[in-house]
Amino acid sequence: MASVAEADFLVGTRGLVRDLGAWVLAAEFGRDGRSLFYALADGRVAVVEPREAEADWTFCDVGAALLSATADVAAGLMAGTDDGRLLQVSPQGAVSVLARYGSRWIDHVAAHPSGVRAAAVGKLLHLLDGKGAALKTLPAHPSSVGGIAFDTKGKRVAASHYGGVSLWYVAAREDKPRSLPWKGSHQAVLFDPSGEHVVTAMQEASLHGWRLSDGQHMRMSGYPGKTRSMAFTGRGRWLATSGAESIVLWPFFAGGPMGKAPTELAGGDAVLCSAVACHPEHEVVAAGFEDGLVLLAEITSGKVVPVAPPGGGAVTSLAWNAPGSHLAFGTEQGRAGLVDLTRK
Amino acid sequence: MSDTTIPVTVLTGYLGAGKTTLLNRILSEQHGRKYAVVINEFGELGVDNDLVVDADEEVFEMNNGCICCTVRGDLIRIIGGLMKRRGRFDGIIVETTGLAAPAPVAQTFFTDEDVKRATRLDAIVTVVDAKHLPQRLADTSEAREQIAFADVVVLNKMDLVTPEEADAVERLIRAINPSAEIRRSVKSEVPVTALLDRGAFKLDRILEQMPEFLTDTDHEHDGEINSVSFEVARPLDPEKFNVWINELLQAKGQDLLRTKGVLAYANDDRRFAFQAVHMIADGDFIGPWKDGDARRSKIVFIGRDLNRPQLRRGFEACQVPA
Repeated sequence: MASVAEADFLVGTRGLVRDLGAWVLAAEFGRDGRSLFYALADGRVAVVEPREAEADWTFCDVGAALLSATADVAAGLMAGTDDGRLLQVSPQGAVSVLARYGSRWIDHVAAHPSGVRAAAVGKLLHLLDGKGAALKTLPAHPSSVGGIAFDTKGKRVAASHYGGVSLWYVAAREDKPRSLPWKGSHQAVLFDPSGEHVVTAMQEASLHGWRLSDGQHMRMSGYPGKTRSMAFTGRGRWLATSGAESIVLWPFFAGGPMGKAPTELAGGDAVLCSAVACHPEHEVVAAGFEDGLVLLAEITSGKVVPVAPPGGGAVTSLAWNAPGSHLAFGTEQGRAGLVDLTRK
Repeated sequence: MSDTTIPVTVLTGYLGAGKTTLLNRILSEQHGRKYAVVINEFGELGVDNDLVVDADEEVFEMNNGCICCTVRGDLIRIIGGLMKRRGRFDGIIVETTGLAAPAPVAQTFFTDEDVKRATRLDAIVTVVDAKHLPQRLADTSEAREQIAFADVVVLNKMDLVTPEEADAVERLIRAINPSAEIRRSVKSEVPVTALLDRGAFKLDRILEQMPEFLTDTDHEHDGEINSVSFEVARPLDPEKFNVWINELLQAKGQDLLRTKGVLAYANDDRRFAFQAVHMIADGDFIGPWKDGDARRSKIVFIGRDLNRPQLRRGFEACQVPA
């Protein structure tokens, strides 16, 4: 990428970058399509109106370290703190408490637009409805929960842990999980859009997957680093992953990923990919690297478009808005960026 | 490049030995430094501290080909969370429960890539009760392992023992771990500087930790943790040593808790330092031998069921021919 001129990066021509001075935990667009949130580990949240991003950004401070954040069920951001508070931040920057879980860390949060929320605290997974009322607390997992995810419909929630994944039905009368066992410690977890596959990123720098219809195992390995970020393309054909010196994409079609080699995009530099986000519609992946570089890669052509030059530490988060017109990103050292990809 | 990793001090010791008193003392002393403290689920801090995290002591096996390799899953998670606000503290103190084996804690700092990149294990400090240690050693394997892993042993409650009893307890500790520094104390009164920023796992500090080789007082009991140490006069053949130590760690790594060595390689003017925690080994040159130094290679093994003659023969066979 050394030959790319500064002006060729999209942030220079159709975007902006700001220094927020703290680790960007998550960049998330609100589901109302009118707000963008940068959740910072020091407890601040920057609230941005994406179409008027040049204006001053609103900041709120939740008064505790933030550990987890995601787009809430409707407008707003849902976030978990290190003092056990599950919070909502409105598009106006107002902070309200959805739940309190003692003084424990809220490690993971997830929300589904059908109106269901989940928060993982130690071994426990708490489920709440769209109004913030507690639905249930699921029976304790075998270890602390490593990651949580809803399926596309919001009917099932997956929790990864040491020894595998537990799948729960949100509306079940009796809470007995379907257990997906596999030796080792499982962290990030994800359903594919069809709800037929569950994939985890493991402590041992590999991925593990299960095909739910027949319990078939899928092992995806060969990573030089841990996969922290993974995402399926809009129709679920590809699983894009971080953790290698390129974007590693596993084919979930034509019998794959079993027995298929992954496709690698945007390799060449000896820098690990640290974050990925798939365009909601097109087979385009946004990727961030440990040196702060952000780029877009088109899967079929392999064509790469540079978004932001290296700087600001490793890219921690990347997000597309629902129509796929805006891409936001954040880094370890507090660089926050936004690009507008609409035709001008 | 300067070292930007955050030092981590692990505090172990049996229930009632004075661990919490020591922790409170470290935190309340005016040293101008801020510590994030990871306490075990039964722990309680008596002083205010900005950053206190409850840990669950979740021990995970690693599928990495190292059969004895276990790590603390909760520590990986907690350190990951803490490093997102790394400007807010200068060091991390991890307290373990009295029943915890220290190996998974130590191995976490040598196996997990994220933890390794962000932090460095500075030292393992074990607090023991001078009065009750003999009983603890008889009762439990954890008490023995906590001493075996220690870089510093705080021999606490000295007011409860006679000088003769104290010396006897010290001999017990020495038999298990000849390289740890022993600090006698009453009510865990030990200067903080003796405990923090020790760099005990830095290769260039290993020389200072090599035990005295004057007398040969090691003794072995089946299944118990002991130590053996050897010193040889002729330079070592690096290839022979590598083959021998690798095979030894592969075969006996589960029983070898800590290994430390300072080696004189043939045709090299630099000292080579070596250390291992179970099977995880690390070694590098640490600067030249000084003029007048006796270039003798020394090695210490702390572990279970150590076969002294076999280890001695193995180490001696690494020397270049006379």
